Amino acid sequence: MAVAAHLPDRRLLVVTAMPVAAFLVLLAALAAASPGLLEAGSLLTLADSAAPLTVLAAGATIVVLCGGIDLSVAALASLASVLLASWAPGLHGWAVPAVVTLCALAGAVQGLVHVAFRIPSFVVTLGGMTLWSALALLASGAATVPMPDSTPTDWAFTRLGGLVPSAVLVALGTMAALAALLRVTPLGRWVRAVGHAEPAARLAGLPIARIKVIAFALSGGTAGLAGVLLVARTFSGAPTLADSLLLPAVAAIVVGGTAITGGHGALWRTLVGAGIVTLLRVGLSYAGVDAAYESILYGVLVVGAVALTIDRSKVSIVK
Amino acid sequence: MAERIQTYGPAAALLALVAVFAVLSPQFRTLGNLQNLLDAGAVLAVVTIGATYVLILGCIDLSAAGVMGACALAVSLLVANSRTALDLGPLGVLLVVALGAAFGCLSGVLSVGLKVPSFMTTLGVSAIGLGVATVLFAGVQPTVSDPWLLQWASGRWLGFTRLTYLALATVALAWLVQRYTRLGRYALAIGGGEDILRLSGIRVGRYKVAAFTLAGACYGLAAVMITAQLGSGIVQAGAGLSFAAITAAVVGGTQLAGGRGGVAHSMVGVLILTVLANGLVLIGVSPYAQRAVQGVIVVFAVGATLWPLRHRLEVVK
Repeated sequence: MAVAAHLPDRRLLVVTAMPVAAFLVLLAALAAASPGLLEAGSLLTLADSAAPLTVLAAGATIVVLCGGIDLSVAALASLASVLLASWAPGLHGWAVPAVVTLCALAGAVQGLVHVAFRIPSFVVTLGGMTLWSALALLASGAATVPMPDSTPTDWAFTRLGGLVPSAVLVALGTMAALAALLRVTPLGRWVRAVGHAEPAARLAGLPIARIKVIAFALSGGTAGLAGVLLVARTFSGAPTLADSLLLPAVAAIVVGGTAITGGHGALWRTLVGAGIVTLLRVGLSYAGVDAAYESILYGVLVVGAVALTIDRSKVSIVK
Repeated sequence: MAERIQTYGPAAALLALVAVFAVLSPQFRTLGNLQNLLDAGAVLAVVTIGATYVLILGCIDLSAAGVMGACALAVSLLVANSRTALDLGPLGVLLVVALGAAFGCLSGVLSVGLKVPSFMTTLGVSAIGLGVATVLFAGVQPTVSDPWLLQWASGRWLGFTRLTYLALATVALAWLVQRYTRLGRYALAIGGGEDILRLSGIRVGRYKVAAFTLAGACYGLAAVMITAQLGSGIVQAGAGLSFAAITAAVVGGTQLAGGRGGVAHSMVGVLILTVLANGLVLIGVSPYAQRAVQGVIVVFAVGATLWPLRHRLEVVK
């Protein structure tokens, strides 16, 4: 917590305790409303439904930790789904690694454009979002691409021992792998240093450009993996399959307590955030609220969470 | 030199595009195609005016898609339609423009009041707008039956639809507001150096909220125009238009960093995008490929306009 030590204590407490408390309160409230929820089976089903969102938000969290944002993840996941479904017949088992690598490359290209031309990350990834979704539409002819033989993705949509959904393990594994990468290599400290005080990091000699490109590549890679998970459960790819997950993913990141100003945050927070978003969605439908209100909820959630977690000492002028 | 390119470059690019398409496609150089061009560009022009007011502050507005969705549904339910008994006509249109302004005001108040970056608040407001639109949609698409509103897109006067005239009038009005009112002048100044303006004792926040509100009103009007074209209210009325408007503004020479450009610049950008779309269709390029091109264009246009400033921009997030 050395990085966060200078923060006002109250804010730190809010940012750390609030997401966890909110998650537990939501879980308790839902369990009170429907006692069956706390059984292993329904909890696992809930976790299964949260898996693609968690994977999508995982890599994007690292970009946010750098102080940037990746708005292209959902469109890239959609593109990944189309590519996977159309390549699976030819490449068989190699289709998944090929798609994930390609998405990581796409992310790296966005990172390169961002650092080389000094274009704000949200503009680059907004342009990327348009580009990837247009490519997905072109590649699929604006139609759903069915995948008759689902063997290449079966591993991502089974239940181990007849109980544990493999997608949950994939999501937790992705989170753990990224967290380990941030902890074991210097990348974690570098990313936080860049997000926290880029001029200082630059003066300290950190390879800023390389760090940012790696962050965007990781974000692209997990977006591709999220696309794979979606193909596994729908047995098809579609050019807008993941598009509706952009706002929930951003919400998961910021609701978990990662500040979009960079520097403060962690991957486990995104896990908690994804849990909150999923519980809220389920809770709304339990309460009989029309699904149409979901989008309003995400909008309020994103703005509210950013307002609570943003580090205002860092931005003198808010654009 | 760099400044001259930024001022006159877009206009020169527009002329070059027109010349190229005129040579490549005989259909492009017909009067009928000019009518199509202006009719097709009308909605984008009005949306881009809104986006421009926010861009010259140095902020960004991604809310057009959501706000337009909500406004399109609202207008189709307020004028004579297949679902409600209301028949408010022009009053309904005014109410919807006010609704758009209210959404814009919400974006502005959230950005200024909570000190949250505008791309985040407007993304949130866009989601809220889409949610409101879906709630209003309620599974049954409202069809507009008000002949007065439908006439906007179908009837022609001196060869052009009323939508084209409406867009031209809005452009003229927006240009006058930008040139001769305090709001317009301060908006440019805020984009150029907000801190200095604040130190001069100007209430920056108020003008920012006003600019966002004006942008919202433009989106409301654009939603009415699109509903007149489609004849029914749909949630996706503004899909893709947020991005197209920002592309148009930036391509025309309105700077993303704020303080440079304006309505006139952005309109050149609108014409460039419209001519490009029209010309590419006429020579047989898929509309999806055009979207891909748009995504690349905006990144390069931003890169090109920021290139001379790159030494001033120490940290780019």
